[in-house]
Amino acid sequence: MSRGLVAFAALAFAFVALGPIAAMASRVDVADLAALDLARGAGLLWRTAQLGLGAAAIALLVGAPMGWLLARAQLVGAQALRALVLVPLLLPPLVLAMACMGWTSWRGGLATAAIMGVGTYPLVALYVARAAERIDGRRSDAARLAGGLAAMARVEWELVRPVALASAGFAFAFAVNDFAVVDYVSSLGPKYPVYADDIFASWRSGNDTSKAVASAWPLVALTLLVVVPALLVVRRSPLFSYEGDFRPPSRVELGAWRWPLSILAWAVVGATALAPLLRLAFEAGGGARGFEPATLGRSLVAALANGRPNLQASLLHAVGAACLCVPVALVLGHALARSRRWLVFGTALVVLPLCVPPILFGVGNLALWNRPETAALYDSAWMAVLLQAGRYAPLFVLGVAAATAATDQRIEDSARLAGAGPARTLCGIVAPLLASPLAGGAMVVFVFALRELDAAILVPAANGTALFRLYNAVHFGRDEMVAALALWICFFVLLPGAVWSLHSRRNMGALP
Amino acid sequence: MRSLHHRLAALCATLGLALASCGSDPDLVVYCSLDQEFAEPLIREYQERSGLDIRVEYDVEANKNVGLALRVREEVARPRCDVFWSNEFAMVVALAEDGLLEAYESPSAASLPAEMKDPDHRWHGFAARGRVFIVNTNLVDPGQIDSWDDLLDPRHAGKVAMARPLAGTTLTHMAALHEVLPPGEARRFLESVDRLSREGRLNLANGNAHVMRLVSEGQCAFGWTDTDDFHVALEKGAPVQAVYPDQGGIGTMLIPNTICIPAGAPRTEAARRFIDWALSEEVEARLAASRSAQIPVRPSVARPAHVKAPGEFQPMRYDLRTVGLSIRARAAEFQELFLK
Repeated sequence: MSRGLVAFAALAFAFVALGPIAAMASRVDVADLAALDLARGAGLLWRTAQLGLGAAAIALLVGAPMGWLLARAQLVGAQALRALVLVPLLLPPLVLAMACMGWTSWRGGLATAAIMGVGTYPLVALYVARAAERIDGRRSDAARLAGGLAAMARVEWELVRPVALASAGFAFAFAVNDFAVVDYVSSLGPKYPVYADDIFASWRSGNDTSKAVASAWPLVALTLLVVVPALLVVRRSPLFSYEGDFRPPSRVELGAWRWPLSILAWAVVGATALAPLLRLAFEAGGGARGFEPATLGRSLVAALANGRPNLQASLLHAVGAACLCVPVALVLGHALARSRRWLVFGTALVVLPLCVPPILFGVGNLALWNRPETAALYDSAWMAVLLQAGRYAPLFVLGVAAATAATDQRIEDSARLAGAGPARTLCGIVAPLLASPLAGGAMVVFVFALRELDAAILVPAANGTALFRLYNAVHFGRDEMVAALALWICFFVLLPGAVWSLHSRRNMGALP
Repeated sequence: MRSLHHRLAALCATLGLALASCGSDPDLVVYCSLDQEFAEPLIREYQERSGLDIRVEYDVEANKNVGLALRVREEVARPRCDVFWSNEFAMVVALAEDGLLEAYESPSAASLPAEMKDPDHRWHGFAARGRVFIVNTNLVDPGQIDSWDDLLDPRHAGKVAMARPLAGTTLTHMAALHEVLPPGEARRFLESVDRLSREGRLNLANGNAHVMRLVSEGQCAFGWTDTDDFHVALEKGAPVQAVYPDQGGIGTMLIPNTICIPAGAPRTEAARRFIDWALSEEVEARLAASRSAQIPVRPSVARPAHVKAPGEFQPMRYDLRTVGLSIRARAAEFQELFLK
């Protein structure tokens, strides 16, 4: 890969993803660092770590088998399952919490961990599914011949485990940086304060950015401590099974297990995706005051009429962020996978934007871009795009890095020997090989950008997004409006995949 | 392949143009933390009447008004906001004390009570919300509840709620209690709140709207909320009643909207015209008649029957500036108490 191309991508990443963090860190007053109440913080941090580990464990336990089944087995209704399994990831976490709380009176830390786990297990499923598809079919076949289905499952689990752990690391990062869901779920009964709560309170109650940033470092350190090792394990995994003559794995025949496993998968999807969707439809149709299909129709029409410009803005920002990330992720992900010297440091740097509390990432963007020289950019919708791209590019870069690591470098070497330049090798050889991970990565950025609120809350351009309107409607007890708008958001995110499923015979590689 | 490249280039160009076109230069930029639902139709009407192209940027409820106040601070090197319309006063007082606001003596403010105005004309208060108890009449007799410390009454253990006093009107309310109650009493009250919440005998909701929801749905018997939230519950037909607490005692707290011009605002003339309009009796009457049922601070302003006038109940007497100045220290104190 050309050093120029890598330098250009690294510079773009540094500006968009690391620049806000640097700008934010520059605001810290040393006195605020010295004044940190570590004794009080330790209790909060311990509770936060428990919550994060609980959410990550649930995401792993549900997501890993689900991803493997969807990628490798022919379940009943697999096509629908593939689309529906993503629903919890598409719903804004607070909306998911509200929908879940509508069905149960379960509260407290465990309930929060369960909701955060439900909200992030599709991410684990997505990455595990992609990894499971990259396993060389000969390895699976050999294992199956030697020891049957159980032996094959063991071998394949060994291969996908690093990816599963890494994606569970992301679930951990999302869980420990959230405070709204925890606060909402423990509104009844004993309170469950977490560390992110303290950071947000420092910022919100005193308008004190320095104190908030200073108090954030233990949480950032905790997140890095979990996420970076998990990601490094991926690099050392035995998943490099791509050879020049790679053979994709064949579908696993489940035999007598097909129906029980299908029922189990549908039960999980029913509880985590259909139940929240049904709850939203119930609320949009009048809820506890009396559900009526006509009310549901009216709510959907009204939400679309009122929220149309907001939905347009959200879609525009999310598509923009996903598109902007494609070239950066391709170059940087490829370079990260092929590099040995920069692996640990590079991984830690790439993952940093995800480990920073979102509200502080937003403050950093304000500090970085609100200058006379960049005034036009700051006032335009590009600002929201840059923020979303910066925040979620890490997921994309790391996904591409993992996929690149599983491709045969000899193919690129051959192209280079044949006289192809770095740009041509990248566009003509690497990009087509990584087409599916690229599509998947773009979709992940699109989805997260669409449901992002915390980091974008301060940026002028993000003022008109659907999430912004949705959260304000929550406040006014506009249950029908909230539910209907949430349903529209889900619909617009699912639409591309649904159209693809209806009109194409090929599986959409980006889906699990 | 070439055709695909052309299509991709066209797509990128279209996306770029669409994104860039979202940032045209307006005649006035208003940061507004009054709830979008109430402010939007009013400001749209003013926009049509004045012919100005107004860009309004709202705050989300979760931010409790701080997001926009922070932006005013962060943008001090390159101010872009012309008018900051806040739905409370504490953050605005803090901005004024830090020299981040411009003075403007609006003719519309002449009829405002003296306690609602900054002596240096940097901010003006109008259209207030009351801090009331929302009571579910199916679960408890509203006559049993009349004071702030009823939240601690063992008879109601597990059935009462308030928002955590870390932000928003609850923070301001608790800060004001420290000013009006005898020394140490407010602190003792909050320590009891913290203890009871840890024991599961008092519910700390994630906002006043959530308190309203918990009471409306019968999950709690009563709780502290703002009058706008109470009126939303009433409009939805919930079995609720508002109790204006501490009549004969410290009185019920009123929290006004405030409006101001950030220092260095780029379009001062348009900002002043906007403030003249926002402080008019007409706007205060419209806010009283809206779903938020804001309480006019001027007795002369028309209001619907369900919106009480300060003369119909005893409001809490406190100094906005003193409470505003104490807010950061109180916030830090409450944070240490409730987040551990």
